[in-house]
Order: sequence, then C-alpha cells, then structure tokens
Amino acid sequence: MMATAASIPARTDYRHLVQDGRLHGSLYTSPAIFAEEMEKIFHGGWAFVAHESEIPNSGDFVTRKVGTQSLIALRDKDGTPRIYYNRCPHRGATLCQSATGNRSRITCPYHGWTFALDGRLIGLPDEAGYPDDFVKSDAGMVPVARMEGYGGFLFVNLVPSGISLTDHLGHATELIDALLGLSPTGRISLSAGWMKHRMRSNWKMIVENQVDGYHAQIVHGSLLKANRVFATVRDRKSTSPTRVRDFGMGHSDIDHASDYRAAGDKLFRWTGGIEPERLPTYVAAMNAAYGEEDARRRMIEGPPHSMLFPNISLAEMNIMVIEPVTPDISIQYTCPVFLEGADDLNARTLRRCEGAMGPAGFLIADDAEIGELTQMGVANLEPEWIILSRGMGKEEVLDNGVKLAGLMDETSQRGFWRHYREVMSSTAAL
Amino acid sequence: MDAMSRRSISAEAVHQFLYHEARLQDEHRYDDWEALWAAEDTLYWVPMREGADPAREVSYIYDNRSRLASRIRQLNTGLRHSQAPHSKLRRLISNIEIIDREGHIDVQSNFILVESRRSLQTIWSGRTTHRLVLQDEQLRIKSKTVLLVNCEQPLGNLAFLV
Repeated sequence: MMATAASIPARTDYRHLVQDGRLHGSLYTSPAIFAEEMEKIFHGGWAFVAHESEIPNSGDFVTRKVGTQSLIALRDKDGTPRIYYNRCPHRGATLCQSATGNRSRITCPYHGWTFALDGRLIGLPDEAGYPDDFVKSDAGMVPVARMEGYGGFLFVNLVPSGISLTDHLGHATELIDALLGLSPTGRISLSAGWMKHRMRSNWKMIVENQVDGYHAQIVHGSLLKANRVFATVRDRKSTSPTRVRDFGMGHSDIDHASDYRAAGDKLFRWTGGIEPERLPTYVAAMNAAYGEEDARRRMIEGPPHSMLFPNISLAEMNIMVIEPVTPDISIQYTCPVFLEGADDLNARTLRRCEGAMGPAGFLIADDAEIGELTQMGVANLEPEWIILSRGMGKEEVLDNGVKLAGLMDETSQRGFWRHYREVMSSTAAL
Repeated sequence: MDAMSRRSISAEAVHQFLYHEARLQDEHRYDDWEALWAAEDTLYWVPMREGADPAREVSYIYDNRSRLASRIRQLNTGLRHSQAPHSKLRRLISNIEIIDREGHIDVQSNFILVESRRSLQTIWSGRTTHRLVLQDEQLRIKSKTVLLVNCEQPLGNLAFLV
C-alpha cells in the first residue's frame, strides 16, 4: 500500500485576500472563512457582551451570543457581574432560554441541577446515585476564561491567555470616555431594551457601513429629501470638515465633533439641534458637573460615532451590537443610551432611536436593504476584488499613530481590515 | 362622539373600515392611508413586547402625528431603498372584536400578512388594536398598536405599512 502524507488542510492566505486598497469578495461569502472568524476573532479575541446597567440587581441576567457561543451574563449576590456558558455541566441542556430575567438561582430544566449565582452546584436530585469520585465542586457552571469591563461595558475573551482588554481597546477607551462624559455623573444606562434587526448581509459589511461617510447622500437620499432637520444638521459633502479616524486595533470612527466645532458654538447639533432652553435640567447638571466651559465643549462635540473591533458600535446616542449568524445573515441590536441625570434628554433619545434605527427606522432599514444587495452582488465571481482605496496615501498621521482623513475616505474601513488581517493571519494555537 | 352617532356606527362599518385600511396598506397608497388618521394627537405603535412601557422602553415604531407624516413623506420620495421597489403585500384581517367605549371605538383584530420581496416570502402576523373616532362624520384612526407575533425575535425590514 502506498504511503500517503497526512493531509494538511489548506490555510487561507489572508495577506493575499486582504490587501491595503482592495479585498477579495470571498471574505464575505466563504463558510470556511466565517468559521475561522468565529474562532479567531469572536472566541479568541475580546468581544462585547453586555453593559453592567442591563443587570443592575442581584440575580438579573441577560443571555447573549458571542461568535457561536451562548453566554449568560448575570449579577451575583455580592454585586459582581459574572459570565457563564449557557450550558448545564451535567448533560448539556441550555440553562436560560429567555433573553432577560431575574433568578435567585439557576435550575436546569432537564434534570433539575441547581446552581448558585456564583456558579456552584448547590443541589441535584438523588445525589447519592453518583459514584464516590463525583466531585460536586467540579460540576458548577463554567465561566468564560476572561471577563473585563471598561466604563460598565463587559467584554469577554474565551481563551485564557493573550492581550488584555486595555491593550485591545487602545485609543477606543477615549471614545467610551467621550460617551460617558456626556453624562453628568459619568454613568449611562442601557435599560430601554434592544431592537433586534435581522440583516441579510455579512457581519463585516455592517462594521464597514457603521463608519462609512461616503454612502449617506445615496442610501439616505430619501430622508435627506423628506426631513429638513436631518438634511441640515451636518455637512455631508466631500468638503465637510468631518474627519474619519483609524485608531489602530481595528477601531475607527466618523468624528462628527470636527464638523460641529467648525460650524460654530451651537450646542446639541448631535440631538438634531434641540435648543438648550428645552433641556434645562441636563444643561444645569452638566455645568455643575464639569464647569461651564468644559460642559459647553462636551455639549457641542456630542457622542462618538465609532466602531470598536469586532462587534460594538458607539453609534452616537445608541449602542449597536453586531451578531454574525452565517456568512450572509447577521443580527444588529440597537439600544438607546440613557445618561444618568438627564431625563429630559433621555426621553428625546428614546424617540430619536426609534425614528432612525432598527427594521422600521428611517435610516437603518435602508442600510439593511443595501447590505442585502451587496451580499447578493458580491456572491458573483467577477470582478473578484472589491475596491477600498478611496483617500489612500492622503491620510494625516498623528504622533500617536491615529490616522485622519476626509469624511468620504475609506480610511476607517482600511483600519478595520488591517487589524482583521493581523488577527486572521495569526498562527497562535487557540 | 355622542351616544346617537356611536349607535349609528355598525359593526359592518367598522369591518369595512379595517378592510379598506388593509387594502390601502397592501397597495402602498400612502397618502390615502395617512388620510385615514385623525388630524392630531395620534399614535402608531409597534412595541417590542407585550406590556411594554413606551416611556421607558424602545419600540420598533412609536410615531406621533408628525413622525407619521415624516414616514409617509420619506416613502413618497420613491427613494426609500427598503421599499423601492415595493414589497408585494396582501393581508387578511380576522377575529375582529369591537369594544364600544365612551367617545371612541376600540377594535381588536388579527392579521396574517404575506410579503414577497425578491426571492423571499415572509409571513407576518399579529394582533392590532385600533382606537377609532368620528371626525367630520367619518371614522378616523386615533391610535393603532400592532403587536407582532414575533416581536421579541429579530425582524427583517419593516419599512412597509403594517
């Protein structure tokens, strides 16, 4: 019999597929690439799961997907947030099937194994039936390998070693700080629930679109025509003072503050131009918290419009989370950001979220439609390469490495893809 | 609406109103549909769960009268990609229950809606609560709440009129 070498699976060459100014279309369609992304990006890297304000009380929980994995994020009796795999250690049943809830303990629906919020197995029917070497303390709910938080945003990493969350976030902590800094107390609340929008496009298209300053005139042309406030509150022309920024580590933004500053000292353009007199409680609280000058700067500049690698967007006064389902289906979750101590503004934020976002939103429904058309288009084999070179080589590079470019340049997307290539090309054992 | 005019509105008239509204929605007759609404202080609501508190929780749609007008203006541009081209729609209205109250009529009904868009056929369903009032002798919608069967699950685009 002829000897045969052990088969070596062909490795995808991401340095070929992801080039500086162009991308291979298969990145959006290949099931093999999708599976590798789940492992390397979502399971082997840091991903957002939940915000602490979603589980304010002991026993509060939410269930979330990260990559292919279902997780339970809950608050323990001593106030500690904990994140477990949503799987009974006994025979594998799903422990929590609802999206949110409150439990003083968690009981498996299959055989009734019961766990304390700190994960310990505290009860099981007919415990005497197990052999002597059964160790109850080894059969608790399994926590994720790593959980870290920043500003109440909880991130997980399903592998025990590798870079810290701080290193992963890098400059993105400044974006989170900018959002929290719009709250007079520095705290936000994601208590309004999440819109759930099923999109028929690859998750990376949603990432790219979040920080795309080039599409608004076309994709959102209907709203520009129908809504005067939306049409005038920002400068969306190619000559706009708005910058896009590539922060490294795959994080990027559209820095609307650069437009708001250039447009003068008018507050609240980011709210659709509410007159400050209509937000007296919020303005007073900001002035008291930060002093008039600094409060004024914050209220002019507004929240970040950013995409943090790989799955969370600080989307102005909304948080958006992207959940990959298959190569061509993703779910986008959207929750309005409530600022502690700003009830007058929060009521408007809620209604603005509904107007713009989600499956019926004046903006995002059209983004979803174009995403679907793009997914259908890119499944065609030719021309094979996607062009992503807009503004390339014209970026301004700051001393701290951050790249700035014009509103309509594709610098933000290239920043995502450069980091994607690094992560996907790594050969580190997971 | 006084007691006399309330009595003059038959169940059949209410049914016909709901069927007529359904057809205007199915056929994307946006202005005609908007004209079915009362002039002011209206609410078009698609919650994300039964029993939701819209003052604290986000909804899929929570349109007051001016937001509703905005929605129609955007659709009327013909440039709203998520409805250009239009979805093909037909819906059935059934299980109608009328609760006549002081000054208005509350009507609940079920619907099944088939949407055809490109290669995809989607079935939508839910329970609708209309609050109808008489305005210039005509039935008009004061509020409409659509509780989708799948409102707690991820939804595809809902850019047509539900």
